[in-house]
Amino acid sequence: MNTKKIVIDPITRIEGHLRAEVEVDENGVVQEAFVSGQLFRGIEIILKNRDPRDAGLMAGRICGVCTNSHFRGAITCVEDAYSLEIPKNAEIIRDLIAMALFIQDHVVHFYHLHSLDFVDVTSALLADAKLTSKEAHKYHKNPYRNSHSHYEAVLEKVGNFVKAGKLGPFSNGYWGHSDYKLTPEQNLILISHYLEALKFQTNISKAVAIFGAKTPHPQTLVVGGVTSVADMLNPQRLNDYLFIIKEAKVFIDRAYLPDAKLLALAYRDEIKAGVGRANGNFLSVGGYEFEGEQRLFCNGVIYGHDFVHVEEFDESKVTEEIDRAWFSGDAKENEVCYTDLNDDGSLKTAKNDDKYSWIKAPRYDGKTMETGPLARVLVSYSKDNKLIKSFVDEFLHDTDLELIDLSTTVGRNGARAIESGYICEYIFKLVSRLIQNIKYYDTDTWVKYDFEKLQKDAKGRAFLEVPRGVLSHFVNIKDAKIDNYSVIAPTTWNATPKNFDGLRGAYEEALVGIKIQDTSKPLEVLKVLHSFDPCLACAVHVIDAEGKELSRYKIKTL
Amino acid sequence: MRVVIVGGGIAAVYLANNLKKQNASLEVTILSDEKHPPYDRIHLCRLVDGSEDVDGISLPLDPTVILELGQKINKIDKDKKRVFSDNAMFRYDKLIIATGSKPITLFDIAYIKNAAVFRSADDSEIIKRGVQGREVVIVGSGPIGLELLETLNEMPHVEKLTLLVRGNHLYSKDLSIDSIKTIEECYTKNGKVRISYEDEIIEHEVHGGEITLLKTKKLQIENPFLVFGTGIKPNIESFRETLTCNKGILTNLYMQTDDENIYAVGECAEVQAFNYVAGHVKECTSEANCAISHILQTDVKEFEPAISIDMLKVGGFDLVEVNSPKFTGNYEKVLITSKEDNRIDEYFVTKDELTRFIGINSNVDVGYIETLINSGEKVDINYLYQNRLIGERGRLICSCEHVYHQDLVDIVTQTGIGSFGELSNFSDAGRVCGRCKIMVQDVIKDSQHLIDPNMPRKTPEEIKREREIVEVQKRIDKFNTLHPRNKLTTDNLESALASLDIGKHEVNSWISMVTADMQLHPNFEEVVEKGVKALNKVPIVWLELADCSGNSEAFIKSANPAIEDLIFDYISLDYHELLMSASGNQSETILEDIIKNQKGEYILIVEGAVPLAMDGKYLRIGPKGETGIELLKKCAKDAALVIAVGSCAFDGGVVAAAPNPTGAVGVGTALERTDVINISGCPTNPINIVGTLLSYIMFEELPPLDKFNRPLWAYEGRVHDNCERRGHYELGEFVQEWGDAGAKKGYCLFEMGCKGPYTNVNCPTMKFNGGTSWPVQAGHGCMGCVEQGFFDKFANERKYVEEEK
Repeated sequence: MNTKKIVIDPITRIEGHLRAEVEVDENGVVQEAFVSGQLFRGIEIILKNRDPRDAGLMAGRICGVCTNSHFRGAITCVEDAYSLEIPKNAEIIRDLIAMALFIQDHVVHFYHLHSLDFVDVTSALLADAKLTSKEAHKYHKNPYRNSHSHYEAVLEKVGNFVKAGKLGPFSNGYWGHSDYKLTPEQNLILISHYLEALKFQTNISKAVAIFGAKTPHPQTLVVGGVTSVADMLNPQRLNDYLFIIKEAKVFIDRAYLPDAKLLALAYRDEIKAGVGRANGNFLSVGGYEFEGEQRLFCNGVIYGHDFVHVEEFDESKVTEEIDRAWFSGDAKENEVCYTDLNDDGSLKTAKNDDKYSWIKAPRYDGKTMETGPLARVLVSYSKDNKLIKSFVDEFLHDTDLELIDLSTTVGRNGARAIESGYICEYIFKLVSRLIQNIKYYDTDTWVKYDFEKLQKDAKGRAFLEVPRGVLSHFVNIKDAKIDNYSVIAPTTWNATPKNFDGLRGAYEEALVGIKIQDTSKPLEVLKVLHSFDPCLACAVHVIDAEGKELSRYKIKTL
Repeated sequence: MRVVIVGGGIAAVYLANNLKKQNASLEVTILSDEKHPPYDRIHLCRLVDGSEDVDGISLPLDPTVILELGQKINKIDKDKKRVFSDNAMFRYDKLIIATGSKPITLFDIAYIKNAAVFRSADDSEIIKRGVQGREVVIVGSGPIGLELLETLNEMPHVEKLTLLVRGNHLYSKDLSIDSIKTIEECYTKNGKVRISYEDEIIEHEVHGGEITLLKTKKLQIENPFLVFGTGIKPNIESFRETLTCNKGILTNLYMQTDDENIYAVGECAEVQAFNYVAGHVKECTSEANCAISHILQTDVKEFEPAISIDMLKVGGFDLVEVNSPKFTGNYEKVLITSKEDNRIDEYFVTKDELTRFIGINSNVDVGYIETLINSGEKVDINYLYQNRLIGERGRLICSCEHVYHQDLVDIVTQTGIGSFGELSNFSDAGRVCGRCKIMVQDVIKDSQHLIDPNMPRKTPEEIKREREIVEVQKRIDKFNTLHPRNKLTTDNLESALASLDIGKHEVNSWISMVTADMQLHPNFEEVVEKGVKALNKVPIVWLELADCSGNSEAFIKSANPAIEDLIFDYISLDYHELLMSASGNQSETILEDIIKNQKGEYILIVEGAVPLAMDGKYLRIGPKGETGIELLKKCAKDAALVIAVGSCAFDGGVVAAAPNPTGAVGVGTALERTDVINISGCPTNPINIVGTLLSYIMFEELPPLDKFNRPLWAYEGRVHDNCERRGHYELGEFVQEWGDAGAKKGYCLFEMGCKGPYTNVNCPTMKFNGGTSWPVQAGHGCMGCVEQGFFDKFANERKYVEEEK
């Protein structure tokens, strides 16, 4: 069989430097896929020999898009090492920052990073404002900014832009591609929301900044608690936070969720054909205290879309391999081993031991796993999480889909929108709990400890759910300094390279089998990859997580 | 409002002129008891020796000021607000008494022909006529007596002069014996002058309205001409009944007397808070300024005694005195003398501080002495010694304007001026108190030979023009870069200036963009359309290298202009991996196209460090697998401007932190270029990216930069100086541990490792996320993320110790 290799680099509208290479047959159907991280920075190596209390500020810089996630991950794992239990208020403040970032991330991802795979900007210009308004009513009884004049203004703004001949970020898109399925009016709705979402993410970032000082890269978490106590005690700050979330909820309820439904209906055939489905293994570590024993997300592991038998997550089953990543050595002592690209700039993938990515290969019980909002929704729903059930049921009802249909390119967006909706409600309960605490004079935000008196050698780890999925940080402390540090980020799971086992990760698996209509314009590939919300800066780590002994990594001095 | 000033001296004139200057609608009247219009008493000696007449020393007075001469005021009616002279009544709203002082005499000399004081033009006239053929006896060795002595000594028809000194000192009782001897020698060397110390008049015989014999403790002088230079007292006898007086008329700090509508200024006034009576012109004018500010209620100033500088310039020696209000009789003295130069510097030290300086033929920098006295620093004798010859600019000529001999010579040689009048275009030397006017004139005269005869003589207009050209040149250069087709030159300044004015009528391209879709008057529409078309948005290529996208993420949170307006209306974000719809070959085509077809037009923004180790292969981008450094070089080559945003692009940031595993450097270093604009920060505040872009688009040039090539407007202020918690720092109120009572009250975070004192950036004023907060407000403190190498230096929560490392 003749196969042809298509190289896509850079994959844009993601964080970081991702490359995809797919081999297609004469019909354009993908037979094999290789995804590769193309940047190595070595933040863990930089963290070595530093004061454990500084890990947060440095590890936070792993990613500016998943900002806060690594900051919190690092601080939590150092707290774990010293068995520090932080005050309830500190936990809530951290959650308030994190939750605002969840919805910010999901909205930015959907509209600005992903929607242009579904939305044809040039088609939107043909839309009729009145019909657009009518169309929007199909997905919500009171759609967001739905007046004729509003749509006319959007048409004018985008029209001027196109007429001026300078398309800026819309230049050289895949306009007119036959994979675009929306009507002009549906396109206009989404373009309108694309613009509104730019405002949305600017506003919601203020909610993050109220308790986080700023975003990206908040700066209020410290080992033992948080620093923004004065903001917490200021009723106006709490009020501002609530009102920003309230406005955000309006957008999510009346624009984002309806748009996700719109896509699910328009791309029904694709969903039912299972386009973008990976191997059906899902991982969620759960978290976010809710009421008593309940958690916002349940922990659990699903194999092969078996929603009935959901296993408990067991961290000792997490392993990490480097067979085909640019590292060498055993689990105890690794070093960078860059084997370069082919002369034409493509990945070396001919032999099944060729190395081709900076991303290492995490496995759960030897298997590749998918993590992210879809995994969280499926695990929590399957474990009968009352909080999420109604949100999922409503979405499935309105779109006439089944649970497994979410495990597709379009379905992942549905899961993300569902999650945004119920996180909004959760935030109000969180703030309410915080106010109750303050009302009864609990204003602690930091647990007192004397660093000099803490044990000199300690090990800690943190497993967190962050917007893109499961994040784990591990630290080894010796002589009160970081001896070794490692991270497994959500994208490390999803974008994993193959091992000698030949198992494909979620990205690669989801790509195999899709049909590319025009190999010079591989829109279908982008669509699949974007649905995972890739974040490459996070993904590339020198890591080993045997769960016992962290391995060491060295760089050959050149 | 009608302001009436009583008095006819320099204080009255200064008050009248400045009141008028500040409020031309005031009605200002001067009531002087003199018969001459106001003149400058400092130059009375010129009347004695006949080198000037009274018109020659008159003071310039605003022509709208009403001047009433021969009006000696002897009564005030405070209730009706009127003052009376013998023959007239004047109504006032505000009255200012500036009657100065009057000389003290030992006995009444009103009806004696051959005795005088030395205070007025009339006194000078009497002295001038009276000294002929008589032995002149001057009583008193203060500045007034010494100046007159000098003048008379130089007059050929004065044959004999006697100075009676009650003590054994000249000029001041605090002078050293060396100084006194030096001064004495100057007077006595031609044999005309004798000085009788520890002497005073004990008897005088008067016949026919003339003193025929004067008996002192030591001498008998027949047929003398007697001049009293014994001292002065405030001239306030007419007001003692109506106003509260001590030595002078008592005033508050605004020079207001016990009647709110009456002020007193100058030698007749006594500031009650300090029991202070002014003695120098400078002090009188500063009192006058306080009174004026209070009367007009604008920018009200309170009087405080300041350092005074006094000079005595007579032929044989040169005396400078700097006197602090803190000076008391208790002092230690440091004396530095040079026989060779006839130079004596006397430093008066009280409690280790310098409080007074008197220099004879001194070379020290008086400005420095003044600063030293002001600072209250402990005196370092070695330093004083080193300073003794510091005056490279020669002797101080004008103490009011701090103009030295060499300054004047420079002005003369550079401008070719030939007279005191012409000097006014360049310096006010000799024009403030007027004391040194003659010296200034002499210097101008004496340095005429230094003027290069080939130097074209410039009129003041020409010189003014030259200055204008220097200022205009920069503007013209800018105009020429923006309008390369019509080169302006300064050869014809008028037309060049006119062109600049036309330039002003152009609609700035930024305004055009901002207003492009507003409903404007049709006239405006055309220019706007032109501006927008010409500009057609600024093409931007944004590269992400070894980064975390934090700066891109920050950029899309720009608030003013909002990000949606920015990228849709103002700039053309043609290549930005995070936002662009195209990927792979499609995105790379865009990049190639811009680089090829928009050379010198696009702005390249770079985010992230540049890994150089392993031949740069730690980062590869694009279908051909170009390394980060290759891609950067390719894009930077023809960019109009390269901007490095964020710490990683600035100096490698976190990626280059020890041990810098990938050999990462900043963009400027990677490109080996010094013209890369840096906007550091982790991430940088989007305000600073947008602000720099706006500045470039608005002013069509880059803003001024600091030594790290960062825009000064954003990186000049120190975080600590503009910090909202600075007040707590000053009060010593610090957070001691996270979440403590101080943290809840917003105390200073210095003890918690805030690096604000070491960091220069505008976070405290701009804040983040639409002004919502910043790390200090949120209780964490600054970690210096805009500074070089901050990850290895500042990124922690411990107090920074310089030696640490």
